[in-house]
Amino acid sequence: MTLAITERLYEAARPIWDAQLEHPFVRGLGDGSLAEERFRRWVLQDYRYLQEFARVFAWAVAKAPRLDSMSWYASVLDLTLNTEMELHRTYAARFGISAEDLETEPMWPTTRAYTDFLVRTAADGGMPRLLAALLPCAWGYSYIGKALAREEAPEDQRYADWIALYASEEFADAASRLRDEMDREAAHVAPEEEARLQEIFVISSQYEWLFWEMCWNGEEWPV
Amino acid sequence: MSFVDEQLTAIRPLWDRMLSHTFLTDTRDGTIDQDSFAVWMRQDYLFVEAALPFLATLIAKAPEGHRAPLSRTLEALRRELILFEERAEAVGVNLRGAPPSFTCHAYVQFLLATGYRASYSEAYTVLYVAEKAYFDSWKVVRAGIDPDSPWFPFVQNWSAPEFETWVNHLGEQLDELAVEAGAAERRRMAELFRLTTLYEIAFWEMAASGDTWPGLDAGFDPGLTGTNAVWRDDDTDPSQHAWKGVVVEGGE
Repeated sequence: MTLAITERLYEAARPIWDAQLEHPFVRGLGDGSLAEERFRRWVLQDYRYLQEFARVFAWAVAKAPRLDSMSWYASVLDLTLNTEMELHRTYAARFGISAEDLETEPMWPTTRAYTDFLVRTAADGGMPRLLAALLPCAWGYSYIGKALAREEAPEDQRYADWIALYASEEFADAASRLRDEMDREAAHVAPEEEARLQEIFVISSQYEWLFWEMCWNGEEWPV
Repeated sequence: MSFVDEQLTAIRPLWDRMLSHTFLTDTRDGTIDQDSFAVWMRQDYLFVEAALPFLATLIAKAPEGHRAPLSRTLEALRRELILFEERAEAVGVNLRGAPPSFTCHAYVQFLLATGYRASYSEAYTVLYVAEKAYFDSWKVVRAGIDPDSPWFPFVQNWSAPEFETWVNHLGEQLDELAVEAGAAERRRMAELFRLTTLYEIAFWEMAASGDTWPGLDAGFDPGLTGTNAVWRDDDTDPSQHAWKGVVVEGGE
């Protein structure tokens, strides 16, 4: 039996996914040694990221060919905007980051480029391309969360909670649903289109790696 | 002060840095490395290709009076692509199949994401700044380049009086749009004005010094090819290259 397209995409991006698991930011989060200063960068930039990520789900609602898919994307959009953003604000407060800090944080170059890439792909691509751009985040966080949860939880409860969230079954179910959508929508694409989907999937995967890198090192626009 | 004058004043140090970029002065003085110029040609060709759908997003949102001039620009862009192809042929540069540099990729995503997501006035700001940056930049080159230089046709294209008229027209229209915009939209327009300038500087920097996709030291290289391919064989330290173009070095 041939592999589902999401399996082929994963195989193509696997070195990048492995590199994410080995990234010092991810390792540090897992064993609790990550400096708070570095993690704060993630909290701030991810908040900006989430807003654009939500926009991609809005496009998915607009583009989904089936009612049950539209409904599901709409519920994820609602969950992201009206629950996850609030959770993020509550979580940020545990690091002394206020809602105003979150709202006024400028996008760093990598966040800007990644989210522009997502929005652009969601806007001018069909459903398979949109999903190829989304999956490395949605699926990748579940993948990383699960990998970290297999090890001993870090002492810092804030990091342990982060891992528990992304390792949760709820999160895994959402990632799994997205993969099913992709496997169905892209089941009969031409080889040229599959190559394009693979490029998009790999680019988003690379941006995921870059996001850890950005949070590890810090990044700024000049001026 | 008009919106355009206000913004150009606010970002003057950045604008000056762009105009004194070594890519421009070396091209003007005839000392530009051929390979650097070829890098610019390949990347700018990709950029102009992406500018076509960007303009289309603008036309879709444009007020009626704006549609005809923007539509004519589509034709102007097509002529620009031909100019690139003719020059490439003349100097033996292969334009086809070059993967986008990271800077070119990011700038193109910025352009298109703005076209799809932002208001007409916001996206128009990006168009104006990109065109204005090119007019001002190539005017610097025009001030000293040998007319026999193989690069002179590019200089002619973007420093021509017709192009100046177009850029001035865009500026006037942008000022009108800014008058109609509310405070929040004007703030977003100002931010896009600055961001576009940063990307323009990054583009010259990329052409002069090259850039590579960051992350190659993580040991992954899927070896993609094609229009959106992103990987280069380059063993230089990526942390030295990622976004180097937008980091304005040196003190003001």
